[in-house]
Amino acid sequence: MDTSSLIDSLHPLEIKVLTALREHHAAAPSGALREDEIAQSALLETAQVSMAMGWLLAKTLARVQQETVTPIASLTKIGERYFEKYSPVERILSAVRAAAQTGKRLTIQDIQAHEGLEATETSRAVGALKKEGAIRIVAGGCVEATGAPSHTAESLRALLKQLRGTRRELKAIPEPLRPVVEQYAVKRGNTNEPFRIDDHVDRWYALTPEGKSVADLLAQQRPSDEVSQLTPELLKDGSWRSKRFRKYTISLRPPRLAAGKRHPYREFLDLVKQKLVGMGFQEMRGSLVETEFWNMDALYMPQFHPARAIHDVYYVKEPTHARAIAEPFLSRVADVHKDGSKTGSAGWGYNYDRGRARRLILRSQGTAVSARRLASAPQVPGKYFSIARCFRYDAVDATHACDFFQVEGIVLGPDINFRTLLGLLNLFAQEMAQAKESRFLPAYFPFTEPSVELHVRHPRLGWMELGGAGLFRPEVTLPLGIDVPVIAWGLGLDRMAMVALGIHDIRDLFSTDLELIRTTRGHF
Amino acid sequence: MPTISINLKDFEQLLGREALGDRPVTTAQLEAWLPLVKGELKDHESENGEVRIELQDSNRPDLWSCEGIARQIRIKLTGASSSYPFFKGTQPSKRRLKVAPGLERVRPYVAACTATGYPVTEAGLAQLLQVQEKLADIFGRKRHTVSIGLYRLPAIVFPVYYDLVKPDDARFTPLGFEEKMSLREILAVHPKGLEYGSLIAGHDRLPLLRDEEGQVLSLPPVINSREIGEVRVGDQDLFVEVTGTDLLMVLLTVNILAVNLADRGAAVKAVEALYPYATPLGKSLRTPLDFGKARTIPLKTIETALGQTIKAEQVRETLLAYGYEVTSSRDQVAVKLPPYRNDCMHAVDVVEDVAISLGYGEFTPVMPSQFTVGGLSRVEQLSDRVRDLMVGIGFQEIISNVMASRPELIDRMRLAGREEDRVVEVDNPMTQTYACLRQSVIPSLLRVEAASARSFYPHRLFEVGEVALVDPTAEVGSRTVTLLAALIAHASANFSEIHSCLDLLLYYLGCQYRLEPISHPSFLEGRAGRITVQGQPLGLIGELHPEVLEQWQVTTPAVAFELEVDRLAGENVAKS
Repeated sequence: MDTSSLIDSLHPLEIKVLTALREHHAAAPSGALREDEIAQSALLETAQVSMAMGWLLAKTLARVQQETVTPIASLTKIGERYFEKYSPVERILSAVRAAAQTGKRLTIQDIQAHEGLEATETSRAVGALKKEGAIRIVAGGCVEATGAPSHTAESLRALLKQLRGTRRELKAIPEPLRPVVEQYAVKRGNTNEPFRIDDHVDRWYALTPEGKSVADLLAQQRPSDEVSQLTPELLKDGSWRSKRFRKYTISLRPPRLAAGKRHPYREFLDLVKQKLVGMGFQEMRGSLVETEFWNMDALYMPQFHPARAIHDVYYVKEPTHARAIAEPFLSRVADVHKDGSKTGSAGWGYNYDRGRARRLILRSQGTAVSARRLASAPQVPGKYFSIARCFRYDAVDATHACDFFQVEGIVLGPDINFRTLLGLLNLFAQEMAQAKESRFLPAYFPFTEPSVELHVRHPRLGWMELGGAGLFRPEVTLPLGIDVPVIAWGLGLDRMAMVALGIHDIRDLFSTDLELIRTTRGHF
Repeated sequence: MPTISINLKDFEQLLGREALGDRPVTTAQLEAWLPLVKGELKDHESENGEVRIELQDSNRPDLWSCEGIARQIRIKLTGASSSYPFFKGTQPSKRRLKVAPGLERVRPYVAACTATGYPVTEAGLAQLLQVQEKLADIFGRKRHTVSIGLYRLPAIVFPVYYDLVKPDDARFTPLGFEEKMSLREILAVHPKGLEYGSLIAGHDRLPLLRDEEGQVLSLPPVINSREIGEVRVGDQDLFVEVTGTDLLMVLLTVNILAVNLADRGAAVKAVEALYPYATPLGKSLRTPLDFGKARTIPLKTIETALGQTIKAEQVRETLLAYGYEVTSSRDQVAVKLPPYRNDCMHAVDVVEDVAISLGYGEFTPVMPSQFTVGGLSRVEQLSDRVRDLMVGIGFQEIISNVMASRPELIDRMRLAGREEDRVVEVDNPMTQTYACLRQSVIPSLLRVEAASARSFYPHRLFEVGEVALVDPTAEVGSRTVTLLAALIAHASANFSEIHSCLDLLLYYLGCQYRLEPISHPSFLEGRAGRITVQGQPLGLIGELHPEVLEQWQVTTPAVAFELEVDRLAGENVAKS
């Protein structure tokens, strides 16, 4: 960069610092200035000087001429507490001396308990006192005062007094005390110390030859010519024509923006929604609280059967039961469970409990929404989907959430059969996972027969289970008044969503960490 | 549902030479067969050949063992079922089991058989114990409907009595203990007594299996006797007994155990149970018993369901290769399940077995061809519009769990004791953190706010999401409602700022609203309002009360509004 464009890119703070250094140089050519001296001369805050100094050093316009490091000792919070309440060394020594006068025998444990000390501080203090001969350990683990003075205890007291509320250069502390400061100063790995020693660095800055020539050039310019911001006033009166616009360092990172943005998981769900609508599916909505009837009974899941255990559910506390289940569905479903009624089925062969049907639960599967849709005169042919919040009685961990979205739906029409079921799943494989290969495996769901599991080869994830589906059993459809075959399908998209969002814990789909939400980018 | 362990060597032997030839079974080969049993390979230890398989079908307990899986695959490979002659026998059995009156009210059904001439191997014993556990636990609902006992046959003197005795009138040494205990003591002390005692509690007499000499076999469904009821490797002759509350499930369980033992080479013989009361199948039950019935299915039914034509003969072959007994005519098939299955309720169950036996890969997928119109619900359309507008106004969308804790929803919002403190609560929460359904979305946004002090300010958050509002007039006691909540937090967040956002949103939604000053514990007095449209409440707006922020440990001022999206969708919202 040539000198003139270098000048154009200087920040006003840099200009002020350069000017101050130049003035000092004129007065004392071999001299240099500390940050605080520059601040004083340029009428700036020290922080502003150190910021500008950083830039100038990087541009080699200024250099550090001299640097001194001064260790400074001061009290920590613990040190202030020791001043008030005495250090463990002092307390143990005085406890032992007091005991010597009354003839009491004290063990280390007694002292520790009595003084309310930690085991580690006790053993360290006892060790120090023992080493300098102020105390000794006798038979039975008892501690006795020897009568000898303790240099440590006396030094600590002197230092706590001297350093209280002030800082001192380490070398100003007289020789017998200095090693004690060093021994009891905060170090890496041990922060519970009364003293700290900080290195105070003083730097003296001077101009480099290049800085000198830039500063000289600057001095020749009229500073009022330069502006950093174009303003309406400058535009209005045309005075911008006589101004110089400071050049920016545009490679710096810009400040962050707090943007309005959809949630990354929502972007994924919106895509799913859009695809389903594109395939001709109508959205269905349902209730978070459901009856066992619509959640399970209507789906031909018998009230007393292991199939029900898959759906360990949350029960509602109050009210426990819905007042009634709509007829004719309740009676028809009860009959089907009992003996198959007119569906051509043998039924489950048990006495259906109508009371239990009314039990209120949190919806455990999106299929409950489908069951309600079937019972309320759906279009035939028809395609429906829901992205339904569901609840499972699972311990929450990286793979289980207490509530989650289930993408489910139905397809009904006279042309529905096992092969069109497979055709639909193929479409899902292509549309939802961009998979060119898919496999169908036999599956089990209490409400469908035949049942299929869809496995697809995802372009990035490899073979994965994408969903399950089947033809609703006639025991499900006929009692709800549907006399055409119905596909029930569900897609397991959370794994795809997690990969698209780059997260590994299912709980992060509903993260409470704004920083994570703001910075997550979806790769869809 | 259950996940079971099998040993590959054991599995190979059960498959047999005829099915397998000289090939050893690899895990890849096993995996290729597993669709036949709706099984999924979970893991595999190559050193000892142990394989874990999850079986999906809760109606096929016959598959929950190495024997069962091998049987289904063997039939497919050889094209023929094994014969189990003991189901055919009609002569009265010499071995009898006499049922005492009164058991119909306690645990009504018992069935049994014997299996002799098969020295139990280590792998065989492991499978016996596993199938006993899985059947009783999952199929038998933790021994409620079905429980199983296995005994050393030579120690038993027939007839066996299924008795009812008072808790102090019988003593025996239960498995796992050294000394004799009364039934009462067993129920009070033995781990199994504590676990399963409730199944027979509430009766003054308890079921007990004893032999002619008074030796106790077991206290069903709790625990076996240590003397007779502990089968060990090398035992040759076994007595198998099943008790329960559902006759068909009890019979099916005996059948499964009988064919499993027969597949290992045991000679199974029937035991006859004599009841003093009527059962659905009479007073005398000779088991194992094939209680299944044939059903006739029109070929058309199968073709319609599969979506393609298929010849009756092909259906017959396909089902034979899946274990069925089948006869076919031109346009129908008569099918009967093997005696170890009872999962055919409807013709569709047979259709699925046809498809599984043929292989799902054999079917050519066809796209559903009928035209349908896709679309979103009114609420979702409106939610999308609201989301778009909120994003444009500069808010970050949040999606939260619908479950929350009562302290979050009520206490921290200063709502305790108020009308608003009613929320849908769960009777059986897993943790108190997730014990309620939220009735408001503002706590969800505060949860984010509380966790996000390190993310740079300003924070402008919103969520459009479902809540449950308690409503005694609603069918399920609550209404699921979609709410929009928005929250702004930064050092100088104030009412005017959030009001501007609300105003702009409702302007674009074409909704004329008013703000009525209200007193609300969650908001600062004098800085809270009810949003109304034509006098109808739509939502709330205000500066969150400092105590609310304190409770949430939020250290910046925050302002918020919340409104019902459903109401915006309704007809009663004024349009300007």
